[in-house]
Amino acid sequence: MTIKIIEGEKFAQMLIEGANNLSNNAKSIDALNVFPVPDGDTGTNMNLTITSGVKEVKAQSKTHTGQVAGYFAKGLLMGARGNSGVILSQLFRGFSKSVEGKESIGSKDLSKAFAYGVDMAYKAVMKPVEGTILTVAKDSANKAVEFAKKNDDTIALMEAVVTEAKASLERTPDLLPVLKEVGVVDSGGQGLVTIYEGFLAVLKGEKIAETEVQGPSMDELVKVEHHQSAQSHMSTEDIEFGYCTEVMVKFEEEKVEENPYSETDFREELSEHGDSLLVVSDEDLLKIHIHAEYPGNVISAAQRYGSLVNVKIENMREQHTSILQQESHSAAAPSVPAKAEKTEYAVITVAMGEGISQLFKSLGAKRVIEGGQTMNPSTEDFVKAIEESNSEKIVLLPNNGNIIMAAEQAASVSDKDVVVVPSKSVPQGLAALLAFNPAADLKDNEEEMKEALSTVKTGEVTYAVRDTSISGVEIKKGDFMGIVEKDIVSTDSDVQGVAKELLSKMVDEDSEIITIIRGEDRTEEEADELASYLEEQYKDVEVEVHEGNQPLYSYIISVE
Amino acid sequence: MGKVLIVTDSTADIPKSLQEELGITVVPLKVHFGEETFEDGVDLNPGQFYEKLKKADQIPTTSQPTPHQFEEEYRRLSEENPESDIISIHLSSKLSGTYQSAYIASQTLGEEIPVTVVDSKRASYAIGVVVVEAAALARKGASKDEVISRINELLEETTVFFMVDTLEYLEKNGRIGKASAVLGSLLKIKPILSLTEEGEVYPYEKVRGNKKAVAKILDEFEDRFGNDPVHVGISHAEVQGEADELMEKIKDRFNVKKEIVTNIGPVIGTHVGPGTISIAFGRSKM
Repeated sequence: MTIKIIEGEKFAQMLIEGANNLSNNAKSIDALNVFPVPDGDTGTNMNLTITSGVKEVKAQSKTHTGQVAGYFAKGLLMGARGNSGVILSQLFRGFSKSVEGKESIGSKDLSKAFAYGVDMAYKAVMKPVEGTILTVAKDSANKAVEFAKKNDDTIALMEAVVTEAKASLERTPDLLPVLKEVGVVDSGGQGLVTIYEGFLAVLKGEKIAETEVQGPSMDELVKVEHHQSAQSHMSTEDIEFGYCTEVMVKFEEEKVEENPYSETDFREELSEHGDSLLVVSDEDLLKIHIHAEYPGNVISAAQRYGSLVNVKIENMREQHTSILQQESHSAAAPSVPAKAEKTEYAVITVAMGEGISQLFKSLGAKRVIEGGQTMNPSTEDFVKAIEESNSEKIVLLPNNGNIIMAAEQAASVSDKDVVVVPSKSVPQGLAALLAFNPAADLKDNEEEMKEALSTVKTGEVTYAVRDTSISGVEIKKGDFMGIVEKDIVSTDSDVQGVAKELLSKMVDEDSEIITIIRGEDRTEEEADELASYLEEQYKDVEVEVHEGNQPLYSYIISVE
Repeated sequence: MGKVLIVTDSTADIPKSLQEELGITVVPLKVHFGEETFEDGVDLNPGQFYEKLKKADQIPTTSQPTPHQFEEEYRRLSEENPESDIISIHLSSKLSGTYQSAYIASQTLGEEIPVTVVDSKRASYAIGVVVVEAAALARKGASKDEVISRINELLEETTVFFMVDTLEYLEKNGRIGKASAVLGSLLKIKPILSLTEEGEVYPYEKVRGNKKAVAKILDEFEDRFGNDPVHVGISHAEVQGEADELMEKIKDRFNVKKEIVTNIGPVIGTHVGPGTISIAFGRSKM
């Protein structure tokens, strides 16, 4: 069988299947993330990104290939999350530009489009790193161009692309030493391979065997739902279903015998009670998340199958109205203020943890987008925040290396004057914000704030999510690690010891202030103990302790 | 034509010896600790003041000299030096009524004793730079017009930065101006304050730590003055060691023609609090 021409409808199917395949593999891609801090989120990020692309495709007419590609690219661009997500969006931005105006495409068009996408993605990345998704995309695109010269069958072409992409993926550890050390291939590259496999399957008319049907966790899904619902509700009155309801039920045999359980039917039934519905179940447990007007009905419905383990109900209208409450219920709060005050400038930043968010606000940040290491905000999150800011001049502080690209992408699509100050950590973000001067113009602010990034050293204490070895250091799962910028400088099971050793590597004779931001897993006493030790140890240095309430990081420390 | 006499007020932070050397008349402002009133630099020197400030349960208040005080000074000067011209240079009118009092006195005296009153729009030794440079020129026998044009030239460039330990004092005394924006911060920060062209307090920069503050200030002065001859004054509130060290640093880096390390007097001290250092730069022709 050969296919010489791909029509719009077929192309749309390819995209959808590519996304499905990625989604099915997202968890295993997460696990490939090499850095042993809890940031295994490449698969999740790429999945959320491509889901946004496919949503656009599904909503539109699919007769015209060029248009379908355009919708997909637009959806990807807005949904882009994390570095791999941003690169994916750039690959298809180039792809769609290349097939723009084409009703259908042949193998030459397809190969050219892959190649054009690679060009676009390389341009978009400031410092392209080989051994990543970029390399996989490039190698396979080169192969495609080569192949299309001799063969006009798109199936054979896609087969060649997938084969080369896999081969290229296998080579990534040779290009990126950190992959080799841990013994994995690049996670973003793996994501791209799964997408291409989906494309191929549609062309061949096959269905891919689901390797591991394991979607994102309930928590992740809930976050995404809240994200989306937050974006669609502009004012309190617009909230149709007022209560964010989460119910966990333990299945009971007798009850299930009486009321046989079917996830599909139950979901169908609950959908009448509200929106943002999620139903997840296994043999033991049933978890429900829904925004409903009458949470009691939902609970009763769930109770038919077993006993209640956990129920959480939050009034979203209250949260929406009261900013204070909004801030304290980060899990469920749609973080959209009704109407932002009009100001010339808005500094928009990203943080996890109520305390850190407060620190930023006290220094004048207008909006703090919830997110960070394991929950990278998307380009669209930034675009929304920019639109809602009621300001014309915008400064974005991403505070994480993996969020910078999404911020930059948002800056480039926004009509407002937006600059990105590429802060890679919370301390850098705070230092940059300190340098912000509302009386100066945007360009001067950009310069001053960028300059301020280098005035502070960042240290982080977190824990390993699995046994691994990095730079010759053996790390056991659950051990604490002290990281300066990107280097692990201390590891141990004792968190205080790790923090102290970390600081000994950071403090020098020029140091004046140590700021400790305490994570949600550490007590006030522990932070104070650390502070007293430091005051004793470094007499000339001032020590400041703040409650950050951030997850994952026991301590975030700045030395300046 | 007689000579040109320079009058200023105690907030210019000009040391006694220099006042005497250049014949500068200093009119004191007042500091009130509850019921007790002191004249700045007359019956209360900086050492005594900061000692009292530490023990006081309430922050003292300050007040400008009365028009009558100025009138008396102007009369005295005129009697002692007939045919002379008086130029009276004062603390920013946005921060104090001192300029207002001097102006009223000059209006009262009218043609009888002509006095030119100047709003320096500065504080601390930034007034000092202008006053000392002007007095030195007057000493050389310059005319009133020459001295006034020199003063205007100096006012264009003379700048002062304050590194305060806390904004508490400025806030309590209502002198915070545009610097209030810095107040809500949860992080402990060191605002570098300066004065706007109109003479109001504004936050020039917010930094954490003295070293960074000093680096910022000196970079700014380097941009403005480069290697030109400068007149530098450091006034400090009870941090002599730091002030001396800073002056050494400045001398290494700039072409310093005239240097003064002095105390921040009680009136300015009331508003900025202990631990403050102010650095003033002006172009020197001394």
